[in-house]
Amino acid sequence: MNLANLLNNYEEAVAMILFGIGFSNLLLQKNLIKKIIGLNIMDTAMYLFLALKGYVEGRKAPIVTDGIQSVEAYINPIPSGLVLTGIVVSVSVTALMLSLTIRLYRRYHTLDLDKITTQLKKEGL
Amino acid sequence: MLYGLILLPVFLPEIAVIILLVSSFCEHLGGEKKKTNLFIKIGAAVKRSGLADSDKIREKNKKKELKRRTQKEGPKENYAGKDQPVMLPSVQRVGRQVSEKSRAIAGKVQVKAKNQLQSQILRTEEERLGIHIFTGIVLIVSALLALIAAWTGDKSVTLFYLMKDIPVYFHIDAIGSLFVTIVTIVWVLAGIYAFVYMEHEGEEKRFFGFYLVVYAVLVALDFSGNLVTMYLFYELMTLTSMPLVLHNGSREAIMAALKYLFYSMCGAYLGLFGIFFLSQYCDTLNFTAGGSLNLALVGEHQTVLLIAVFAMLIGFGAKAGMFPLHAWLPAAHPVAPSPASAVLSGIIVKSGVLAIIRVVYYMVGADFLRGTWVQTAWMTLTLLTVFMGSMLAYREKVLKKRLAYSTVSQISYILFGLSVLSPTAFTGALLHTVCHAFIKTALFLTAGIFMFQCNKTRVDELSGIGKQMPKTLWCYTIVSLGLIGIPPMSGFISKWYLAEGALEAGAGVFGWLGPVILLISAFLTAGYLLPITMKGFFPGKEADGAGIIKKEPSCAMLIPLIIFAALTILLGIFPGPLADYASRIAAAVM
Amino acid sequence: MEFVQNFPFISIVLSLFSGPLCSILSGKKAKWVNIAVITIIGLMSAAVLIFVISTGESYVYTMGHFPAPWGNEIRAGALEGFMAVFFCVVMLLCMIGGEREREIEIEEGKQNLYYVMVNLLLCSLLALIYTNDIFTAYVFVEINTISACGLIMIRQNGRTIEAATRYMIMSLLGSGLLLLGICFLYDITGQLLMSNIKEQVQILHMTKEYHIPLMVSLALMSVGLAIKSALFPFHAWLPDAYGYSTLSSAAILSSLVSKGYIFLLVKIFYRVIGFSTVRDSKVINVLFVFGIIGMIMGSVSAIKENNIRRMIAYSSVAQIGYIYMGFGLGTTAGVIASIYHIVSHTATKSLLFVAASGVTDASGESTNFFDLTGAGYRNKLAGVAFTVGSLSMVGFPMFSGFTSKLLFGQAAVESLHKMLPTLIALAISTILNAVYFMKTVIRIYTPEKKGVTEKKNFRVITMKDQPSKSVALICFIILNVILGMGSKPIVSLFETGLRMFA
Repeated sequence: MNLANLLNNYEEAVAMILFGIGFSNLLLQKNLIKKIIGLNIMDTAMYLFLALKGYVEGRKAPIVTDGIQSVEAYINPIPSGLVLTGIVVSVSVTALMLSLTIRLYRRYHTLDLDKITTQLKKEGL
Repeated sequence: MLYGLILLPVFLPEIAVIILLVSSFCEHLGGEKKKTNLFIKIGAAVKRSGLADSDKIREKNKKKELKRRTQKEGPKENYAGKDQPVMLPSVQRVGRQVSEKSRAIAGKVQVKAKNQLQSQILRTEEERLGIHIFTGIVLIVSALLALIAAWTGDKSVTLFYLMKDIPVYFHIDAIGSLFVTIVTIVWVLAGIYAFVYMEHEGEEKRFFGFYLVVYAVLVALDFSGNLVTMYLFYELMTLTSMPLVLHNGSREAIMAALKYLFYSMCGAYLGLFGIFFLSQYCDTLNFTAGGSLNLALVGEHQTVLLIAVFAMLIGFGAKAGMFPLHAWLPAAHPVAPSPASAVLSGIIVKSGVLAIIRVVYYMVGADFLRGTWVQTAWMTLTLLTVFMGSMLAYREKVLKKRLAYSTVSQISYILFGLSVLSPTAFTGALLHTVCHAFIKTALFLTAGIFMFQCNKTRVDELSGIGKQMPKTLWCYTIVSLGLIGIPPMSGFISKWYLAEGALEAGAGVFGWLGPVILLISAFLTAGYLLPITMKGFFPGKEADGAGIIKKEPSCAMLIPLIIFAALTILLGIFPGPLADYASRIAAAVM
Repeated sequence: MEFVQNFPFISIVLSLFSGPLCSILSGKKAKWVNIAVITIIGLMSAAVLIFVISTGESYVYTMGHFPAPWGNEIRAGALEGFMAVFFCVVMLLCMIGGEREREIEIEEGKQNLYYVMVNLLLCSLLALIYTNDIFTAYVFVEINTISACGLIMIRQNGRTIEAATRYMIMSLLGSGLLLLGICFLYDITGQLLMSNIKEQVQILHMTKEYHIPLMVSLALMSVGLAIKSALFPFHAWLPDAYGYSTLSSAAILSSLVSKGYIFLLVKIFYRVIGFSTVRDSKVINVLFVFGIIGMIMGSVSAIKENNIRRMIAYSSVAQIGYIYMGFGLGTTAGVIASIYHIVSHTATKSLLFVAASGVTDASGESTNFFDLTGAGYRNKLAGVAFTVGSLSMVGFPMFSGFTSKLLFGQAAVESLHKMLPTLIALAISTILNAVYFMKTVIRIYTPEKKGVTEKKNFRVITMKDQPSKSVALICFIILNVILGMGSKPIVSLFETGLRMFA
């Protein structure tokens, strides 16, 4: 891999590193809250990545205030739209996860998923 | 019109079974209210018209039944409950009450209970009679239809398309007709025997239901016109014959049935594996005498194809009890009811043979295999199986297991005949198929009679049996001689053809090794079959007591046996037409 | 434009809005609304299917006012139409079959919420089937996950909540990867509509430009969807989720939810990337290997399992393995076999779940393997249905499983290098399947000793006792036999459908 290439696209690299951090947190953390934090980092990394793709150096956001200028004046709006959609999805998923976590915590008084599994086996359900 | 004829014997038993199922469902739905069903009605009607057994026998049966029922609240009744869920609790309650009778003072209640019990028994008996008559009629009608279909020329019919280019296709040819005829004869005779025998096994509705279905499947298997259709019915045969094996529901029986299922399925899968290949390299999957292999397509893939064919041989050989997938036979036979083990050994095992014939002589063609390593390996396996089967049979003490090992060895005689790839040996193999079907069925039926009449399963318990049931043992002796191959009996002719075929084929070392092993195995066969006759008629001093009671079985059990014995002699003395027929088939495929 | 062409859109919107509607109705009314919605959508999808077959080509339906490169699109072809009809039929039967369990197992006031979830699930499945926009697909994948999670956890006990949590975590990992893959693809092609992406991808493939990002994107999307559809080794959540949720949830989850994702993957292969590009990549080899391992490991886990519902759930792992193995073969025949297996497994697995519940009902609600002894006599229809399902799974002729196995075999023979591992894996897996399914069938037909029957609270169940379940079972059996015997038109339909895809 060419190092200069990497440095030129450092934003993307950061996004990917963030994605990796989030992904491994979601996968490997035992604590449910930390898992959810991982999920959010992962999603945010995606939004960063998408927003970067839509951004063109030196242009404005496509919000029309003083009459329509030429197409060249605005950044690509579609990725921004995708980011918005993604945020909605991510919020709802996070809410669902948190509510599940609350349920589990009320029942088992722990946030450790493995411990919960052990307890379940003890219950013999 | 003629088109339908092939399918009639295939579908009639199924319809009958649906009737059986529906009637049992009706009972199921009817709950407590409904106490009669179709079969009771049939039975009662026949009885009224006086066609059934004389009153005396019935009276006797009734007493016996009464005694049996009062003696034990057998675990069997528990699940006979599937057939008569309504009667059961009361029968058992009554049974308990009657057994208490010995202790308690006889009172009105007991008398009433006894009457009730008698009427229960009467009803059960009527139901049994009804089932028997129903089964009998269906069996005979479909047997006749099958025979008519088989012997009125070549016909073919396509049922429907399973997949693109793969129809379910039936075609009647010479070898199919031959197999159908054997199946039909054995099935009808063993069926008659089963009417009596199944009394002590119970659950007759289920047994005869599956018995009919297996018959239909076998007819369809024999009439199959292409490889996929055959595979379809081959699997169905395994599935539908499995309940016959696990009939008594004991742990042993279930394990044996599972073993049967797994061996058959492993085998069938190997067969399917081969079918995938053959469908690539053959012009058509329809059976054509002499094979339909397209050598141009095969080209360089000869090795792959040979492996596929070998896999098919091993796979279908599993059903035929060929080493290395033979171990299900000695497990499944002893636990199955005798008529079931008879048809298992006499007929179902032969389906493996038919499958191998179809693959080798009707798909791949004998020429493709001649001289290849597949032929050598196949011959080695069959000879090994012949020898091993006989040795194991010789050492086995349980009669039915001994017979099962004997089947292992005898079927490999047939497979050896096929593996030589010469017309004479092929004729011999077909002849031996016929002979063995009749003989082995008869032997198992005899073993069943020993179990039914005197409850004896081990060989060493059988000394003096000839004094008790001379006719049975005579039949046994005749068919045994046939299996060993003593001249006037049928086995001699087939073995003669086999040996001659092996010698003239010039297959190197196997040319003489084959006949030698066949001879040794014949001696072993004599060694494991004849001692029963000898001990049976001449039990020696210690057993030669006064208390010998005649225990000859009833006509319905004896007559099938006598017919098989007669067929054995008849085929031995007049083998001409059959041998001609077989050699015509052999000439057509090679 | 014909009126029929509006139906895909109408059906998605109908199911989407009937969800919120159910939340304000009572449980009973919501149930009827749900059944009516599924039936209407099924009929509409059938009309679409007939229309597409009669015209012989797929059509594109523009949503909103913007034309192709900007607007959102729906696309309906033969395969999409068939899947929509089939999913509706199976879902309807699952809902009917699990009616009694729902009434018992779900709290009184929350009955209607269940139907909210089911309607949303149906909506997302239809959207996954019909959509022509890859980002829309992602959004509906998430909706699918959320509603499936709701279906799992609506039966309140510790197990289901834990299972739902695990399910969510795995699904989120999967959808994260899927989203990343989609972003990459958007990054290199600049398009979101599937057909437009494909044009760009073909250009890229020819010029060999951005080859690595393309492959990475394909790999990410495949792996993401594989995780979501519980391909081995990502199946840890599956046995609990299927084993302890309420009956209709288990049946719907096992038969429909995972299949929706797999169908999306087929679309990605054919409509987004183009199958020739996929074939040249190494990604399918990975799927192939994991598919084969899954086929065997799933069966091994199922053999070790004593709880019948968990056993059936593990068998799903094996069957999903079959499907991915078919993709991995890299031939159109393999994909057709896989699609057929999707259909056959959908019909069979839901049958097995419903039948298993019928069998356990007759055994004092115990799912323990040894308590099932003789259950086939106590509940005859369920016993027969379970046998049919088992035979179909094992691959006996006459039932749907056999046809898919035959198709897999034929497909395997075509591809030289993967032939032997495929056939061997098929053989081993067939035998392993036979081990646990036949073991169970024989167990439910082994007579139970007298005395035990009363002690363990066993009871006889007739068809009258559970009419809705019986109807569902009979329909499932018929469906299975039809798929087993009359596969010819269906397979040719798939072939036309795949041609329309390209």
